[in-house]
Amino acid sequence: MELVLPLPVRLPLHVPLLGGARTASIISVSQADALSDGELIERIAADDHDAFAELYRRYARAVLGLSLRRLGDRGRAEDAAQETFASVWRSARRYDRSRGPAAAWLYTIARNAVVDSLRRSPEPPADVPESPSGEPGPEDRAEAAWSAWRVHRALETLPATEREVIELAYWSGLSQSEVAGFLGVPLGTVKTRTRSALHRLASEIGEELG
Amino acid sequence: MSPDFDELVGDDLAAAERERLERVHALLVAAGLPPELPPRLASPPPPPQAPVIPFPRRYRTAAAGVAAVLAVALLGTGYVIGRGTTPEEAFALPMTGAGGAKAELVVFAKDAAGNWPMELTVSGLEPLPAGSVYELWLTKHGELTESCGTFSVSAAETEVPLNAPYRLRDYDGWVVVEHGSTNPVLRTAAI
Repeated sequence: MELVLPLPVRLPLHVPLLGGARTASIISVSQADALSDGELIERIAADDHDAFAELYRRYARAVLGLSLRRLGDRGRAEDAAQETFASVWRSARRYDRSRGPAAAWLYTIARNAVVDSLRRSPEPPADVPESPSGEPGPEDRAEAAWSAWRVHRALETLPATEREVIELAYWSGLSQSEVAGFLGVPLGTVKTRTRSALHRLASEIGEELG
Repeated sequence: MSPDFDELVGDDLAAAERERLERVHALLVAAGLPPELPPRLASPPPPPQAPVIPFPRRYRTAAAGVAAVLAVALLGTGYVIGRGTTPEEAFALPMTGAGGAKAELVVFAKDAAGNWPMELTVSGLEPLPAGSVYELWLTKHGELTESCGTFSVSAAETEVPLNAPYRLRDYDGWVVVEHGSTNPVLRTAAI
């Protein structure tokens, strides 16, 4: 479907990433959305498919994002994402809530799937540079990957109306006025939703902010 | 291009809150757009099946050989053990018939499966034509009720292992008939 924008702006990204369309293909769940990530994993250990669908809804994009960031190849990243969730099924019984947050447990599983993918098909060795590279080192990359993971996961907690203004504002290059025009809502509504979304994200990513 | 933070939040926030949201803003910019799910990832994957690890082809013959050797060894062991433990005799009944035919029916203790193993030693019965056999029956009120097996005789005295998978107290005796007939050629006293 092609979208016609009412504004003379360039949308470098896929616009139809707004909540409703994205989640429509995911299995509807009942009650599972009220559970914490840890509770969902515990239910998955008891073979609860609804709990798995809800966990997938919350983390699928974060897992794919992590895989893409590290592997750089869309096909391999999708394979790694699938392997991650297959591992969740297999490993849920070993999850122990007292040993850390569920997000970290899932992150470890996703990272292991990426590492396994790299082992199967390692990256070609890079030429040794003559001068130190200005690019981030492994530690910085790992920290950035973890931060992105938390942000992507937190985005899934936002109401659809707030998530769409954030996505349009941050990754579609639209000003607040342009977002308002695109969505057909008053500018004040866009500003209110944006601030509310940032507050929610701040709460969700609490420890990231110190 | 990242959005202008001031445009997003305005200028009426407390300093601490503004700093907090600005850090969220920085994280959002650094994280980048989470990728859209392609069609193949649109639905959660089904639970994986337990992996089936195929036995390497080159070992299959060896494995079959090992299995055969083990089977023979187990059979042999069972035979030796079984041969060495004669079941305890529960009781023995004489059987009598016309023309000097007679037999002894030895009933052994009931086994774990609830069967009564028996051994019938017969003498004086006429060998039957090919295709015909004698049959041992449990009787109740003089009627043939449950078969305990068939046998043939080819010598003056014949020993036949038989079996009674029934509750003997429900019956009142045994008879031997020619298979297909109801006329006893041997019978016990009442049990």
